[in-house]
Amino acid sequence: MSKTWAVARHMIAEGLRMKIAVVFLVLLGTVVLSLPFSISGDSSLTGAVQSFMSYALTATAVLLGMLSIFLSRSLSDELVHRQAFLVLSKPIPRWQFVLGKWLGITLLNAAFLAFTGLAVYGMVRYLIHTHPPIDDHFDKQELNNEVLVARHAIRATLPDFRKPAEAEFERNVEEGRYVDVPDFDAEAEKQRLAKKHEARWRVIGPLESRQLLFENVLCDRSPQNTVQIRYKAEVTNYPPDEILRAAWRFGDPAKGTPIGDVPIRHVVGRFHTIRIPANLVAEDRTLAAQIFNENPFDGEPQFKNILELRSSAEVEVLFVVGTFEWNFVRLAALMMCKLVFLAGVAILATTVFSYPVACLCSFTVYILSAARSFLQEAFASAPASGAWTLDSAKEFLAQLILFVLRLIYWVLPDFGRYDAVEDFINGRNVSLVWVLQGVSEVGLLKTAVVLGLAMLLFHRREIAEISV
Amino acid sequence: MTERTPPVVVTAGLGKTFKDFWRRPRVTAVKDLNLEIRPGEVFGLLGPNGSGKTTTIKMLLGLLYPTRGRISVFGKAPTDVSVKARIGFLPEESYLYRFLVAHETLDYFGRLFRLPARVRKDRTERLLDMVGLRHEAKRPIGEYSKGMARRIGLAQALINDPEFLILDEPTSGLDPIGARQIKDLIRALGDKGKTILLSSHVLSDVEDVCDRVTILYGGQQQAAGDIGELLRKTDFTQITTPALSADTIDQLRDLIRRLEHKDIITVSNPRVRLEEFFLRIVEQAQAANIGTSGVRGAGAVPEFLSQPTKTTSEEVVESLVAAATKPPAPRERTATPLAEPRPTPSAEVLKELLSPPPSPPGAEPSGRPPRDLRGDRAPPRAARKGDERVIQSLIEGVEAKDEPAAEELP
Repeated sequence: MSKTWAVARHMIAEGLRMKIAVVFLVLLGTVVLSLPFSISGDSSLTGAVQSFMSYALTATAVLLGMLSIFLSRSLSDELVHRQAFLVLSKPIPRWQFVLGKWLGITLLNAAFLAFTGLAVYGMVRYLIHTHPPIDDHFDKQELNNEVLVARHAIRATLPDFRKPAEAEFERNVEEGRYVDVPDFDAEAEKQRLAKKHEARWRVIGPLESRQLLFENVLCDRSPQNTVQIRYKAEVTNYPPDEILRAAWRFGDPAKGTPIGDVPIRHVVGRFHTIRIPANLVAEDRTLAAQIFNENPFDGEPQFKNILELRSSAEVEVLFVVGTFEWNFVRLAALMMCKLVFLAGVAILATTVFSYPVACLCSFTVYILSAARSFLQEAFASAPASGAWTLDSAKEFLAQLILFVLRLIYWVLPDFGRYDAVEDFINGRNVSLVWVLQGVSEVGLLKTAVVLGLAMLLFHRREIAEISV
Repeated sequence: MTERTPPVVVTAGLGKTFKDFWRRPRVTAVKDLNLEIRPGEVFGLLGPNGSGKTTTIKMLLGLLYPTRGRISVFGKAPTDVSVKARIGFLPEESYLYRFLVAHETLDYFGRLFRLPARVRKDRTERLLDMVGLRHEAKRPIGEYSKGMARRIGLAQALINDPEFLILDEPTSGLDPIGARQIKDLIRALGDKGKTILLSSHVLSDVEDVCDRVTILYGGQQQAAGDIGELLRKTDFTQITTPALSADTIDQLRDLIRRLEHKDIITVSNPRVRLEEFFLRIVEQAQAANIGTSGVRGAGAVPEFLSQPTKTTSEEVVESLVAAATKPPAPRERTATPLAEPRPTPSAEVLKELLSPPPSPPGAEPSGRPPRDLRGDRAPPRAARKGDERVIQSLIEGVEAKDEPAAEELP
């Protein structure tokens, strides 16, 4: 592997001396160092830090992705300017040459990511020390509890809505309500009824309550420790002061936990986080919670004060499982997986195409990988591919394009699935399992496929071939 | 009778046709080429532009694949990595990295041969000395002149102490000094047992250094053979002596008419070649320490290049058999030990290198006649019997003239 390493070292030297990487490094440095002075967030310290981290990390991911593609020009240049003639007349297997190029790009990316990461971390500390305080104590506490931590989140286990749906379906059948329905689909009807029951459950009328159960709350249950409840309650009719009047009750005496009541007076329609003692979590690692729609606004008709827990904003229990710094390292590892794959794609493209075409191909893959979830949605609404007909050329073409897109969809990694920036800036744990999934799927499996293909194609290529 | 050493390169019916975008055959660059390059020879590949020289070389290096025929280098396919470890290659243009300095360039290529760090460093220094660019070793190659880059190209081709050196237009872009140094180097390496393939359309280069040549035209072999045999004019005899008086020349004319019934065609003072004259002037300037930012006097051939090449198992067996039957005779090309490299012009060192080693009693005559690289062409290897008679009588006549004449020439 010493020859591979020699090529990698050479690639790094080229990247730095040919100014491509230096330009990106300067650009990254400029973005990271100037952002704190140009963004304000929501004027709170937490908002400023979150905005800064979001912009800086997104810019880093995009710029390093582009750098991976631009650096692959090295291989293309060696073929065009014929240095490859000289190198490949030496005793280096071609697969090692390709691997060395990829390794060089990857190491440059890793170094730049580390540099940017350190710069972001340093600027976060700088912001904390220099941001003008609104409510210094509250702001910093919020920042430390909700951003500069690694918290694991658990959503409530919802009741089984299929049971009441089944019962209602049976009743409806007995009453003969579906007799005249053409093409009746019983399963679809049951699903519709289950959704209806869930929607009803999510709406909490005045003075009503709902019970939620959180399982596997594997936190430190010592009384001095706390867990956080994050929720957003909507109301059908905003009270004049836009303040939500409700109350939480936590704990389950049947399981030996104390009871904790938390009255809430928050602005409606926003996420809020409250902290409760960790000993409210039962020994079996469950946390029982109950929310009361407590009291309508004075003078308002009660029927208007309906509270809703929407499925798009589930109630969560959060508890600290690690530090901000290690969370940052895991986030960087996930970001690196994508860069590793992109470097492989760029190398593959340059082994086949001339640089401009290779560059275009690589960017296309980058964009498609980032938008893979949109593709998934598009396929879900597309007609089944089994319905192949040649009735018209247009239909055939549409089916062909769909087939190609499905193939691409299958090959491409889902960058969105491994995009942890949003979780990171919200103080969510970037779990090791998540990182390992990213490493194994994107960083190893799909990169190996792409690199293997690049090695195979480069091995078969006539390096000095000319087309006349 | 000793077994013949396997050839370094064999091609049989080799052909290469380039295709267009639609994979239709368009240009036949090489057609039915049969080559055999033997170990230790300097082989010339001659031809005008577009005759298929570079295409052939690229096929030998595995950079192009033949469309017809077969090709083997050291008995293996040219794409075999182990074969490439034994080859040094100087391409037609110096395809070097503009952003690397000379040191880094040689170090990089040394790493591709997995040379240990100490060896890489040592060879880099020696090769930079050899090509006279040690003082410019810290400058990026992008800033080099074409000739300087060419020299680094040559240095990289030698970093692995190759057994087989492929030089494609090695003197292209070089000044006469560089060109002469390259030719001297080729000759010296040839004498040390390296096999060299020299591709060029500069005929004088090939004529100066090659043992055998193949002439290509239109991708096909037009002529091949020993360069001495190919170029010798057997219908003429040339005699070179110190300057003669008009009277002596008249007597010689009479003598030749009487003995051979032929006339002397030309009588003239030989001219020194422009190359020699030029080199003498430059050497004088260097001796006077006139400053230059270009290439300075190149150094000696590095010692590592003069080490005996690896022997194959067949050669070992052959040498053992030979040792049992006759007293050992040193090979002409490996007999001269090299002194430590010195910062002296390569010509001096080469002169020393190329002087025939003292032959032990009973040693066999060498296979290759000595060749004076600093002077004119090598003398013909054999003169015809008729010529010998005239020459002998001429010598006798001159000797007789130098001394008080005992009797007049008939």
